[in-house]
Amino acid sequence: MAKLKMKYIEIAAPIEQGKDIFDFLQMRSVIELHEQEETEGLARLSSGRTVSQFEKYMDTAQTALSILDKYAPQKKGLLASFEARREISVSEYIKKSDIADKMLAVCYNICCCEKAIAESKAGIARLRAAMDWLEPWLSLDVPMQFSGTQTTAAFIGTLPGDFTAESLMTALAPALEGEERLECEIVSHGKDRSCIFVVCHRECKDKVYEALRTLGFAYPTDPTKHPPRVRYERSQKQIEDLTEEIKSSEKEIVSLASNRSNIEFVRDYFSVRHDKYEALNLLSTSESVIIISGYVPEKRVDALVSQIEEKFTAAVSVTDPPEDADVPVLLENNSFNAPMESITAMYALPAKDDPDPSPIMSFFYYFFFGLMLSDAGYGLLMVLFTFIAKKKLKLEENMKKNMNLFFYCGISTMFWGAMFGGWFGDIIPVVANNFFGKNLTTADIAIWMDPLEGNNPMTLLLFSFLFGICHLYLGLAVRLVMLWKEGKRLDAICDTVPVYLLVTGVAPICANMIAGGMPQVVLTVGKYLAIAGVIAVVLTSGRSSKSLIGKLGGGLYGLYNVGSGYLGDVLSYSRLLALSLCTGVIAQVVNMLGTIPSNPVVKAVLLVFVFIVGHTINIAINMIGTYVHTNRLQYVELYSKFYEGGGRAFAPLTANTKYFKLKEEK
Amino acid sequence: MDNLGIVFALIGAAAAAIFAGMGSAKGVGLVGQAGAGVVTEDPSKFGKVLILQILPGTQGLYGFLAAILVLLQVGIIGGSFEPISTATGLLYFGACLPIAVVGYFSGISQGKAAAAGVGIIAKKPDQSGKAITMAVMVETYAVLALLVSLLSIISVGKLGV
Repeated sequence: MAKLKMKYIEIAAPIEQGKDIFDFLQMRSVIELHEQEETEGLARLSSGRTVSQFEKYMDTAQTALSILDKYAPQKKGLLASFEARREISVSEYIKKSDIADKMLAVCYNICCCEKAIAESKAGIARLRAAMDWLEPWLSLDVPMQFSGTQTTAAFIGTLPGDFTAESLMTALAPALEGEERLECEIVSHGKDRSCIFVVCHRECKDKVYEALRTLGFAYPTDPTKHPPRVRYERSQKQIEDLTEEIKSSEKEIVSLASNRSNIEFVRDYFSVRHDKYEALNLLSTSESVIIISGYVPEKRVDALVSQIEEKFTAAVSVTDPPEDADVPVLLENNSFNAPMESITAMYALPAKDDPDPSPIMSFFYYFFFGLMLSDAGYGLLMVLFTFIAKKKLKLEENMKKNMNLFFYCGISTMFWGAMFGGWFGDIIPVVANNFFGKNLTTADIAIWMDPLEGNNPMTLLLFSFLFGICHLYLGLAVRLVMLWKEGKRLDAICDTVPVYLLVTGVAPICANMIAGGMPQVVLTVGKYLAIAGVIAVVLTSGRSSKSLIGKLGGGLYGLYNVGSGYLGDVLSYSRLLALSLCTGVIAQVVNMLGTIPSNPVVKAVLLVFVFIVGHTINIAINMIGTYVHTNRLQYVELYSKFYEGGGRAFAPLTANTKYFKLKEEK
Repeated sequence: MDNLGIVFALIGAAAAAIFAGMGSAKGVGLVGQAGAGVVTEDPSKFGKVLILQILPGTQGLYGFLAAILVLLQVGIIGGSFEPISTATGLLYFGACLPIAVVGYFSGISQGKAAAAGVGIIAKKPDQSGKAITMAVMVETYAVLALLVSLLSIISVGKLGV
């Protein structure tokens, strides 16, 4: 259990078998490769180019998949994100890997279609813009490039401003000096711009042109060779063609969607190969021998060695890793403790001398989580949801652990909810009193007490401190055991026993001051324990100091540290009460909002609505709050007693897949 | 002027809800601003950023909680209103002060700590637990203030002043 012991393994094999051994190791995923120091006669493999090649293939497949998702989306269930990868056996995997090249071609095809679609779309946008530009000219029935006949000159272009044929003539009149051999036609006009067609006698061409210029005449930037309508219709036709092309490309993509699962497979396949070639960098080879070395968990090592020796002609040596090696950490626990692993990893994995804190904290983790959420209804929902998810869905290992975390937390929440009579706040008394004319209170259905009633908050506060002290004692006990095992027996006793004495003595005295009612015997015993604790702390904390003054000073300083430190630690557990009340009171407020109307029918309808919305929000907010505060109590209060952390996670050579999970054959 | 007690009680409840809420709003806003930048780069980090953003929101909840408790105790909601003495009203007012004041300042401070934690999520998403823990350290003081407020509010009614 707990932290797995690691062995260092070295495999030397003929180079022809290197590839097979390597594939085998990757499928087994129990070895973390370790880079060897440079030795004479051994060379590194360099696989950088192959690695980037595979990376490119992998990206192509991934892009193809996201294109497929866009054009042929897959229907996914609401719970799909919880579901595990599909399983595939190794032999199936090897057999299927032949399709890689074909599928890669399909991926390129999909990417090309996507590119064609993008290009067509850009083309359509361009044509649309051109058509918009042409629109004002549509009623012109000569080409826009038309400049006149033998005897006439034509001007086709735009003028700023809004003109009609008459107003244009009037505007031109001053500059024309009586010249009348011209004809104006307004093709179209708008507020800012008018498209005009002016035809005049060739002889007065320049004069007319000058007159138009003064009004701001401009030739069109891209005049048509044919009447504008011809180009307009041509563009329209082109847009239709492009739309057709887009449609056929989309159709092609959709028709390729049947390959989705195969593409997912090759994406994983390339990812596996990519990882493999990247790991090859860590190997050493000579001309005929390949050497693979790395860390393997001790409990897996025998099976691995016998399998290698059976399948290949290889020399395997298994040794303990050297004292100063950076050995990776892998945690393994039973299903009750395993959910704590991710909580531990979030803080830091255990360093070399640390124990695995997961089994140590699991009980208190669930206990505190339940106490802070403390609503049996919410707990029931958590238990039901996680239970159904575990039964109905195929879950990944990690997801299973998370489900277990909330399953056990849910059980604890139900327990505490029942103790405090909280079922969705006070919904049972509320319904009984409002609709059935009963006179029920939360205290009636609570097994222990209603934490809001009378002096109960005080009682629960003291219990919170008591639970906290137990939690702290557990941490101290772990420290004692750790130091004892290391052989520092004096330190083990001196670091922990005085604190036990002091806290155990002071606690009942303080409790008596707050709440009273402690038997005299307990107080007397407490007094002597506390005095003994103080003396012990003063005597032992300064022991590392050489001089007598130093010892005394260190002792007093130690007393201050223990006093303030443990006071702060214990007070910190008051959050157990605060968050517990928080959930309960908000839940009650929700129920109260639902029972404001006096008409029973309206009340019932409103209550159902408010109940669903309000409690959903309350569960969400309080679960997050409870989760972070439970973590904090472990990280700050418990871990500080014995835990350092700083280990490196075990990262085995493995098939790092996204869609398919490689299953080993038995 | 005989009913001043209830006025003070209501002012206290309002102060708890107002100031704790203001602190939370400011804190949550700060984290939101920092978080939006990270999410633009990598939308998949939304979940982690969201948890950080919710953290400074609890102070507002605590203030709300204290306010509702006062309103319940004096019967402004829940129906059974009975006049209370000026002294009792002032006591309720005093009871609300811890969560009102500490809620305001701790909400902002926690917001700042959490906003800085967003940087951790941006660069090392697997270390988000540490960002959360650091922000939660601030919350301790809001929890302590809430506790004092809660215990006082619950006890004031029994004093018979």
